[in-house]
Amino acid sequence: MKEETGTSFLSFDGVSKFYLSRGRMLGGSGRQVVALNRLTLDIRKGEIFGLVGESGSGKTTAGRLIVRLEEADRGIISVEGQDVTHLKGKRLKDFRKRVQMIFQDPYQSLNPQLSVLDTVSEPLLIHRVGDRLSRAEMVMNALQSVGLSPPGDFVHRFPHQMSGGQRQRVAIARAMVLRPDFVVADEPTSMLDASISAQIFNILLEMQKSLGITLLFITHSLAAARYLCDRIAVIYRGNLMELGPADDVIQRSRHPYTRALIDALPKFGQCGETERFNTFLKAERESSSTVGCAFFGRCSIANRILCSQEVPPFKTVSPGRRVACFFAEEQGKNLTASKTCHYGI
Amino acid sequence: MKGDKEIRHRPHWFEQFLEGWSVFWQNPLGKIGVTLLGIFALMAFSSFIPPLVNPMYHPMTGVDPEIYSSVGPSARHWLGTDFMGRDIFSQLLAGARIAFMVGVSAAFMSIFLGTAFGMIAGYMGGFVDTLLMRLADVIMVLPTLLVVLILASLFGQLNIWTIVLIIALFRWPGVSRVIRSQALTLKQRPFIEAARVAGASHIRIIFRHIMPNVLPLAFLYMTFRVTAAIIIEAALAFLGFGDPGTVSWGMMLQWVWKTGHMFKALYWLLPPGICISLITLSFYMIGRAMDEVLDPRLRREETAR
Repeated sequence: MKEETGTSFLSFDGVSKFYLSRGRMLGGSGRQVVALNRLTLDIRKGEIFGLVGESGSGKTTAGRLIVRLEEADRGIISVEGQDVTHLKGKRLKDFRKRVQMIFQDPYQSLNPQLSVLDTVSEPLLIHRVGDRLSRAEMVMNALQSVGLSPPGDFVHRFPHQMSGGQRQRVAIARAMVLRPDFVVADEPTSMLDASISAQIFNILLEMQKSLGITLLFITHSLAAARYLCDRIAVIYRGNLMELGPADDVIQRSRHPYTRALIDALPKFGQCGETERFNTFLKAERESSSTVGCAFFGRCSIANRILCSQEVPPFKTVSPGRRVACFFAEEQGKNLTASKTCHYGI
Repeated sequence: MKGDKEIRHRPHWFEQFLEGWSVFWQNPLGKIGVTLLGIFALMAFSSFIPPLVNPMYHPMTGVDPEIYSSVGPSARHWLGTDFMGRDIFSQLLAGARIAFMVGVSAAFMSIFLGTAFGMIAGYMGGFVDTLLMRLADVIMVLPTLLVVLILASLFGQLNIWTIVLIIALFRWPGVSRVIRSQALTLKQRPFIEAARVAGASHIRIIFRHIMPNVLPLAFLYMTFRVTAAIIIEAALAFLGFGDPGTVSWGMMLQWVWKTGHMFKALYWLLPPGICISLITLSFYMIGRAMDEVLDPRLRREETAR
């Protein structure tokens, strides 16, 4: 189901991922934890796509499946029509040249024993790009473009000699040095303070524009997603809840879960009498994880009978805009989001 | 890479070394251990001097032409002579060299094996892990000394290097367990995942990313393994299964015992015994001090008064 313009670059088609919780070893029946439940979505070429959800919602799993740190249990992930779900050997290595990842914690994602030069040139070395000199040149350029200048000051530094923001820039340079087509950024700013976060966002935006990279931005913050992304998907416990253009999803959110996330954002500016949606139940309701809406357990507008028994369809409410809620149309009616109200990151 | 030469950044390992050294030196155990070890190293290095001074000071073949039995210390023989007139002091120096040789080479080999197997087991996991670790378990429960004794009685006198090799082959499992657990935690660290995403092969990840991070721990265990190797060699030699062609401290003790001088010639019995105790003690103390460097939780807080 492709909508509007833009060709699909990467698509998830009914992708599921399960984890077995402990206990299986001792003969007990291992409880299956669903990290992703039949995720289906398209990421268009050249866009920044935001995947938003709380901790444990499966957003990071989605990113890890793409870069093949893990393998999908069901469904197909394809890049430009080519099935990449179970690539192996040389084809996997070739694929990895095109798809890179920026990790969450810059204090953990850099090897403490390697200098910046070693770290950033490693992908080049692995894929045998250029000779020693041209590799150094490429590293310099990459460092320059992530705002570490003059790059000569940084090449011989080690991670412990840099700040968090500088480390994350190095990590970005490492991801970009191969000039990939697709980059997964997994909460790249969650360990950094707000002003540094904004700089990192701008670097990502610039890179995306100048290199034409397609970016999957994984975050827990709708505000960050709105600032950066063209389109946003909201995910809850492995299920897609809402999908659409970034501004639309936030200003005219239709899913109670998205609204709950908006409620959770700090606000400033002329927010006036912006009503709080108050969609989270105070106490979680008993719910079965296998039937009914995934959000039923915490939803305050749910219909006790309908929502606990049937899975809401992921229906299109307007062009390019899809919501998985029985009450999406009703929710769309009373929208009073103020345009001058800002959300903090 | 132009223009980056004037900004001098010390290599990471060097800076770490300096920092570690200052912590190490603040520890009295480390100070005593290094000093002791320095004395033994001096002994080992100077072991070639006595035979040059006079051939009768050769630890193995040199015999004082005027002495045919064990006599006490004198100006001519600082620590006296053994039953056939050989100089005990020069034997003691030669023993230091053998102790270093046996201790360091056996420890180095067992650390090499232990680190390699530990990294592979921890990183690969699954079947490889199970196989290597069960092998380690089997070797770990075998009593080293007993096995070496049996081998010695089967094949006659063992060469010193055979003994070193056997000690190494029996002493890697302990190291490999520790390195494996370290590799297991490293494997989960995002920088390893980043390398995988970049397309790094297993070999590359093991050598480039895991090895530099487990080596400090391996060196720590090396100091403890040196101790174990020296003690095993001494025990073997004392029991009469040592290399008859070398003068080790254990060998000296065996000569004392075999010729019936056990409590009659303390000047002969005590020096090798004390040396064995002190050299193992010094390696142990160095290990303990290094432990503190590598594990900051063990560092004592400076108490403000």
